[in-house]
Amino acid sequence: MEPAVPLPGTQDLLFEAARSLRRCEQALAAVFEQAGYAEVIPPAIEGAEIFGVEAFRALDKSGKLVALRSDFTAQVARIAATRLAGVSPLRLWYRGSVVRRDREQIDERVQAGCEYVGAPGADADAEIIRLAAGSLRALGLNDARISLGSTGYFEALARAAGVSDRLAQALHGAIDRKDLPTLRALCEKEVAKGLARDALLILAQPPRPKEQAEDLLARARSVAPGDDALAALQRLTDVLVRCRDVEGLEVDLGEVRGLGYYTGVVFNLYAAGAPQPVGGGGRYDTLLGRFGDPRPAVGFSLNLDALVPLAC
Amino acid sequence: MLTIALPKGRLQTPALERFVKAGIVPDEEPGASRKLIIGASRGARFVILKDGDVPLYVERGAADLGVCGLDQVLESGADLMVPIDFGFGRCRLCLAAPAASKLNAELGRSLRVASKYPRLTAQWFARRGVPVDLVRLSGSVELAAVSGLTDAIVDLVESGRTLAENGLTVVDEILQVSARLVVNRAAYRLKVEELLPLLEALG
Repeated sequence: MEPAVPLPGTQDLLFEAARSLRRCEQALAAVFEQAGYAEVIPPAIEGAEIFGVEAFRALDKSGKLVALRSDFTAQVARIAATRLAGVSPLRLWYRGSVVRRDREQIDERVQAGCEYVGAPGADADAEIIRLAAGSLRALGLNDARISLGSTGYFEALARAAGVSDRLAQALHGAIDRKDLPTLRALCEKEVAKGLARDALLILAQPPRPKEQAEDLLARARSVAPGDDALAALQRLTDVLVRCRDVEGLEVDLGEVRGLGYYTGVVFNLYAAGAPQPVGGGGRYDTLLGRFGDPRPAVGFSLNLDALVPLAC
Repeated sequence: MLTIALPKGRLQTPALERFVKAGIVPDEEPGASRKLIIGASRGARFVILKDGDVPLYVERGAADLGVCGLDQVLESGADLMVPIDFGFGRCRLCLAAPAASKLNAELGRSLRVASKYPRLTAQWFARRGVPVDLVRLSGSVELAAVSGLTDAIVDLVESGRTLAENGLTVVDEILQVSARLVVNRAAYRLKVEELLPLLEALG
């Protein structure tokens, strides 16, 4: 018999590695509780319909499609929209593992995060960004970067330009990879001349520290193709004003990556020593509506597998 | 400090020229010794590797940035920033087959295709709804179609001479390839002060 080992993409944590994870979780729990957030522990498996296609799925005995948790936010949204319907505002935190089918293999990682339900404004966005920044500080990471963008802005531009879903996806991919040559080619060949096209073309600009973001935002405002786009830019400005003292915060209009349900500001967290984002978050004002209680919400999560080795 | 992944092979010389022009000069000519890591001016260093390994090194942060063909970027599936198209190393990824062979539904079975690019090949055929039996090879891909191992091949075509000399013709073009600058996603943010002037000088 071959020796039994964990599946690729999963791991055993032993001794100091386990202790480090526990210490980080405790430090984060203290930050979250201090900020007025209350813990929820959703089940590790539930009906597959609440997760995306990245979830690891199987049929139960009755033939119902069930899935291992691939995302806490969807579960917390379900809890908020059902058992806690109408209770506003709600501040909830969680920790635990998520399982995803990434590329060719299964990938398990430990996350911790917060969701703030029932508050639509820039104050709530800023509270979540500040809490994310505070969480990284509590782990001893002082030189992290928070890259702030808006999927709402990109979607407003795509609508104004009247592009097809396929083209929107191609534009999104090029912007996400800062692939200016491809973005230019797509815009020139397939997007009608106009403000929306000019606005799309500046989305692959490099990030700007928050102190220097105003000229980038002013440039974006000058080519904003409509009220939706202007509102999304105004929201970024409002959030920046409220986060003036958050170190490492920068504006990247090309930060469009996020989970499919994000509708407004999005941000990703970067820490020295980690080759990929160590966390991220954003506003999702339509997700709770799927569970029958349309309320705005904003939240973030941290990837503890990436953070624990960097934390002190 | 920036670590730059420099590919071995035909892309190395033009890629190095661009970095030298941008002010990053290696302490010694790559290949002058067997060193795999070469120091350079401005505190940078080059790591020398196969171009197919560049995307993974950069994605996982062992290098902050690097140079490789768009074919390697896409075949690796690596999650990277690709801000600059250098324009050199131009070639095409093509579907090729023996002249006068039938690749359409008349074949009556799955198309057998050999390639060093299984991901790109599978994607391209999947988008067209064509079932393929994919054979992954590591060299002399043309031989597969000539010897009858497969019906067709997917491979890089530069001048088309190798194809012609083996009685193969291009059936379709899959991808226009040129050398791209690839940048690690986190380095793009965390080292932005060092990177941006370099990107401007390279672009």
